[in-house]
Amino acid sequence: MSLTQVSSNKCAGGFQKVFEHESTELRCKMKFAVYLPPKAETDKCPVLYWLSGLTCTEQNFITKAGSQVLAAEHGIIIVAPDTSPRGCNIEGEDESWDFGTGAGFYVDATEDPWKKNYRMYSYITEELPKLINSNFPSDPDRMSVSGHSMGGHGALICALKNPGKYKTVSAFAPICNPVQCPWGQKAFSGYLGSDRDTWQAYDATVLAASYSGPPLDVLIDQGRDDQFLSANQLLPDNLIAVCSEKKIPVVFRLQPGYDHSYFFIYSFMSDHIKHHAKFLNA
Amino acid sequence: MDLFEIRGGALDVIAEEAEHQDLSRDSTIMADREARPPRGVSTFQRFSVDTNESLHFEPCEDSLPSPTPPEDECDDNVFREGETEGEIVTVRNRLQGKVAEMENFAGHLEEIFLTVEENFGRQEQHLEQHYNDVLLTLSQRYDERAAGLEEEKKGKLEALYKQLLACGRAMDASKELIETAQKVYRSQDKRLFLKAVMPTIKRIEDFAKEEVELTLSTSLEFNTPLSDMSDVKTMMDSINVVPAPSAPVINPQMPNSASQTSLRVCWSLFSDDTVEYYELYYRPVLEDTPADSSCVPPVSKVKVKETHCTVADLLPNAQYELWVTATNTTGISPASEKALYMTVPSPPVIKQRECTSCPEAALIRWESGNTNPVDSYTVELSEMGTDGTENAITESIVAVPTCQCVIQLQTGRRYLISVRAVNIGGPSDRSEVITVSTTGTLFYLLEETAHSCLSISEDGFTISYGDEELPISAMALDDNNTFSRCVAVLGDLIPVRGRHYWEVEVDDGTEFRIGVASEDTERNSYLGANNTSWCMRHILTPSRHKFEFLHGGCSPDLRITVNPVRIGVALDYERGTLSFFNVDLEQHLHTFHCNFPNYVQPCFGLDNPGALTVHNGIEAPEYAFI
Repeated sequence: MSLTQVSSNKCAGGFQKVFEHESTELRCKMKFAVYLPPKAETDKCPVLYWLSGLTCTEQNFITKAGSQVLAAEHGIIIVAPDTSPRGCNIEGEDESWDFGTGAGFYVDATEDPWKKNYRMYSYITEELPKLINSNFPSDPDRMSVSGHSMGGHGALICALKNPGKYKTVSAFAPICNPVQCPWGQKAFSGYLGSDRDTWQAYDATVLAASYSGPPLDVLIDQGRDDQFLSANQLLPDNLIAVCSEKKIPVVFRLQPGYDHSYFFIYSFMSDHIKHHAKFLNA
Repeated sequence: MDLFEIRGGALDVIAEEAEHQDLSRDSTIMADREARPPRGVSTFQRFSVDTNESLHFEPCEDSLPSPTPPEDECDDNVFREGETEGEIVTVRNRLQGKVAEMENFAGHLEEIFLTVEENFGRQEQHLEQHYNDVLLTLSQRYDERAAGLEEEKKGKLEALYKQLLACGRAMDASKELIETAQKVYRSQDKRLFLKAVMPTIKRIEDFAKEEVELTLSTSLEFNTPLSDMSDVKTMMDSINVVPAPSAPVINPQMPNSASQTSLRVCWSLFSDDTVEYYELYYRPVLEDTPADSSCVPPVSKVKVKETHCTVADLLPNAQYELWVTATNTTGISPASEKALYMTVPSPPVIKQRECTSCPEAALIRWESGNTNPVDSYTVELSEMGTDGTENAITESIVAVPTCQCVIQLQTGRRYLISVRAVNIGGPSDRSEVITVSTTGTLFYLLEETAHSCLSISEDGFTISYGDEELPISAMALDDNNTFSRCVAVLGDLIPVRGRHYWEVEVDDGTEFRIGVASEDTERNSYLGANNTSWCMRHILTPSRHKFEFLHGGCSPDLRITVNPVRIGVALDYERGTLSFFNVDLEQHLHTFHCNFPNYVQPCFGLDNPGALTVHNGIEAPEYAFI
């Protein structure tokens, strides 16, 4: 598991770096971004994993979300991986923007030809944390997860499927109920096959209904003018209904005027970093 | 003394030399010496002079006659010698002590001698002065009387001389008449005789009619009244009796000499005066009654022998007029000047329900406890130890002009705070002590702001909105400080621009508004509906629980999946935030960002019948101020 530093830039007193490594789960070269706050020079710091949305690479978040100043302030390492394996030469992987490259959907594919490489769930929850904990001054007991859109879905399922593993979770405009939306149906049928029951293992709303574990404090921001909200791709109401019923604490904020972009993310990033800091630094 | 003999030849060593000798001895002797009882000092007598300068002369009880040293101590035993030496030193030290005492006594005697001599001299001078006065008076008296006699004598002589002259003139006249008669008688010429005889006879007849006063016109006795020598007599008498004292001088009030109901008064006298007793007069000075009023308070009187007196049973925080006279066998002195003394005030009464605190400070409010104004108040505070013990007063805030005071405190401690009222007479007793804990923010509800439908529990922390309709009369009592539309009440938060945290316990089915509002927030509008209040509102809809975070009538659109029943409210003036939390989940619900230029008060409202409870004085959880 050797790491190759692709770039390193001083940022907010710390460093914003990008590394490349050979992933065993994904069987390809993967890039990920890591922000090291100034505190990491002397102490072990907690890690926030950021999962990006459809079409993104590790670059979108680090260049647009404006998370570094707050991460530096709270002493949090932020790791932002890529959104899918790349360059695996699978037929059709680059055909559409919402499936294949840039659209790993944070699942472990079971269907050919994807199942060899498209193991983003295991990559995010197992391989990457191990890699981070063995190469950076991170505290393996303090990690949390957040993400945007597809990444929001990824963050939610990571937290819900691994009770206690993540101290907290938050999301921007997450795909809350992929089983019920066109994006999710397309991806899940591609990666997991036609058996809908297998899909449920990767659906936040379904997972929330059966969640049992330490209380999870979820913060979700959603732009009211998000075109994907009105296109019923995100379906937050379904998740909220389940969480209300299951008494899973969620604060869901519908932010008037905001869309699905990183401008929206940027606007509320500080609230999310604070939310994570509360649990990571408790 | 006999121990010196044992040492042989050391008998004549004077104390000073022995001391020098001793300095070279080693310290084991010293230890040995101290362990032994004193011995070997012959009966000695000790003089002591006690403080009132009367002399006591008493035998020294603890120095018994020395037992004769055993014979074997005379042996050339090294240890014995050391021991003997030690004893000698002990004895010598005792003797030195005695000598010092004697010297001291002698010194006192000398002092007394001087005083006696001085007093004698003064007395002599006094006597001489007195006799001189008597002599002077007598000589004056003599001069006066001599002058009087002289005057009288002169008058008498003048009168006699006048009489003498008158007699002379009468004699001359009669002589001349006789001569004329004889001349007429001898006249040869009958005609002439006849011519002259009748007038002459007439003259003689006339003359004979004139009575010549021949008695002495003035008495020969000198009328000298008995001179009044009584004053001289008194003067002579007074040489031997003490004079009546002169007016004592009453001292102004000393600090800390007064209590709530008593005054300690001191005065002094000219040292020469002899006084048997003093009489101290006092009466309260009532400011609002004119001096000539008939209802001047009666004068009280105490008789004392000392030059000080503590008068008791007085009114607190009152001014008294006092004067004093001195009396001895001869008489009573004039009264001293009148002095004004003041009793100290009654202790203030801390208004527990109006005291509020936060981790950085406490606001203490109290009632004066006195009907008339006091000069100022002193707030005293001490920190309570971790084991509950009270430390000494660690800080006093003096000259507090009003009945309230904000005190800066350290976070996370417990303090005992009390107040004293102060006037020129001094500080009052301590008020009752209140305990202030700086772990969290503590406030009480401002019951005067409560909507008429709201009832507040006895402990002041639970408000409830009953089902029953209130009579119109209750509504009519509303003043402009009570909430008239929103069934709400304000809390009395300490005006300190720091961090404050409190919690509110609600029922699942209660519709409430909690948050903060400016003190002057409109009482006829709903909390959160204006720009002077910020609050979290819980609304029960048929389908779900709805939460709003209202300011100026607007709320962000948000959904909370778990209904909070215990809500933490965190106000941070420095960062300008007001945050709400679900305490049970430690879940952040919402944060208002506002600078709060004016102080805000916690506010609590109920939109439907129900109750809520305020929990106060809680340490803010760490997450409340991230």
